[in-house]
Amino acid sequence: MRYGGDNRGRLLLIILIVTSLFLITLDLRGVAVLDGIRHGGQSALAPFQRAGSVLSTPVKNFFTDVTNLGQTRNQIADLRNENSALKELLINRKSADAQLDQLKSILDLAGKAGYKIMSAKVISQGSSQSFSQTVTIDVGSSSGIKKNMTLISGAGIAGVVKEVYADSALVMLASDPAFRIGVRIAGSQQIGILSGQGARHATLQLLDNQTTIKVGDILLARGSAGNKPFVPGVPVGSVISVDNSAGAIAQSAAVKFYANLSALGVVAVVVGAPATDPRDALIPPKPIPTPIPTVTIYVTPSPTPTS
Amino acid sequence: MSRHRQLRLVNLEMFTRQFSLSALIFLAVYLVQEAVVNQFRFPGGGFHLFLILALVWAIRSSPEIGAVIGFAAGFLMDISQSTDGPMGHWTLIMVLMGYGLAFLSFENESVRSSPVTVVFFVVAGVFLAKVFYLLTGALLGLDFGEIGQIFLTILGTSLWTLAISPFLLPIFTRLHAFVFDTRIHI
Repeated sequence: MRYGGDNRGRLLLIILIVTSLFLITLDLRGVAVLDGIRHGGQSALAPFQRAGSVLSTPVKNFFTDVTNLGQTRNQIADLRNENSALKELLINRKSADAQLDQLKSILDLAGKAGYKIMSAKVISQGSSQSFSQTVTIDVGSSSGIKKNMTLISGAGIAGVVKEVYADSALVMLASDPAFRIGVRIAGSQQIGILSGQGARHATLQLLDNQTTIKVGDILLARGSAGNKPFVPGVPVGSVISVDNSAGAIAQSAAVKFYANLSALGVVAVVVGAPATDPRDALIPPKPIPTPIPTVTIYVTPSPTPTS
Repeated sequence: MSRHRQLRLVNLEMFTRQFSLSALIFLAVYLVQEAVVNQFRFPGGGFHLFLILALVWAIRSSPEIGAVIGFAAGFLMDISQSTDGPMGHWTLIMVLMGYGLAFLSFENESVRSSPVTVVFFVVAGVFLAKVFYLLTGALLGLDFGEIGQIFLTILGTSLWTLAISPFLLPIFTRLHAFVFDTRIHI
């Protein structure tokens, strides 16, 4: 027999729905108590996330190795010849080297522009329960991190600090659908708004209908008033396709981020902006094409045909 | 002590035991979700262990308990740092999902006794929860990005749930049976 419910059950359901709606209303009105609950929850979770990050690193490394099997085959063949202790040492070293490389490139970028940065490690990658693209980093208000600070990787912009807790911070990635940043095109100085699309690519909307954009154009952050949330000059990405629809008011384009947002390990929060705008100083160098050796073979026909 | 009063005491003791064990299990799975599962960026959005637990628990409960489970689970999901909606958003959706799934399966042994049907209910629950989240989020002014990406995420999450639920179902069902089927004898 199908359950028909009773008045007590219906009353409970109504009370729970009304409580939920009440919570939504309070949160949208900015009641501090609810923020406090979220902050408290995150502060309590941070140590577990840190432990989870340490525990899951070998598994993540394993999957990364599996997905890159073709590229690392030679490396795996070499490793087979070494003993188990050396293997372990090498794996640890590999992980540390990768982080060091990331840190070096971040320091290079920050040094060129004169940004004052605080380096951080990504300790959680966000969740599938929502459509947002976020990561949690292991530095928080105790390290001087504040809301709306720019997050950079070695390649360029990675996101913006959305929430700050005592020892961790939640960062909205540049790929988040709610992410918006004012950008300018290096060289021509045209300006536009770049929006995250929940994927590896973002959309650029130019503000001026008289200007044009082309594939390969490099985008840099324009910077915000008071350098929050964005410091000027950070490389954002490059144009990969242009939409020339006749009905559009201004041109739009698809942009590929310089930073690999799905593989962030070591990042940095810009805690101090430079005194002057670095302008186009941070444009990433163009990749140098590897020369392909050519071999020319001259064939001279023999004067007498061989039988 | 009268028999009536003795029975009430036993009921209270049973309720306390069931409540505290359920809370422990929910907190443990929530911690695993937040500290371990969230470390991986699965293609297609991945799965949500805690959401699956809450839905399985609701399917095996009465509608009232289903709604309360939904409320508690939704509240924990709202506390999560990766939630982009306002506090209470997931709570509202999970109350409705918990009540709805429990309502459809309560006193319906053909649903509860068939693992295939339970898996179907869980996958449908995850799919509907995502869709409701999206629709109510749009009403609240949240930005979810490209429609194609949203479609892929919902489809991906549902497929992940379909793939992982058959493995989780026996564990969660046994845990539920352990918490609720144990009787205290006078």
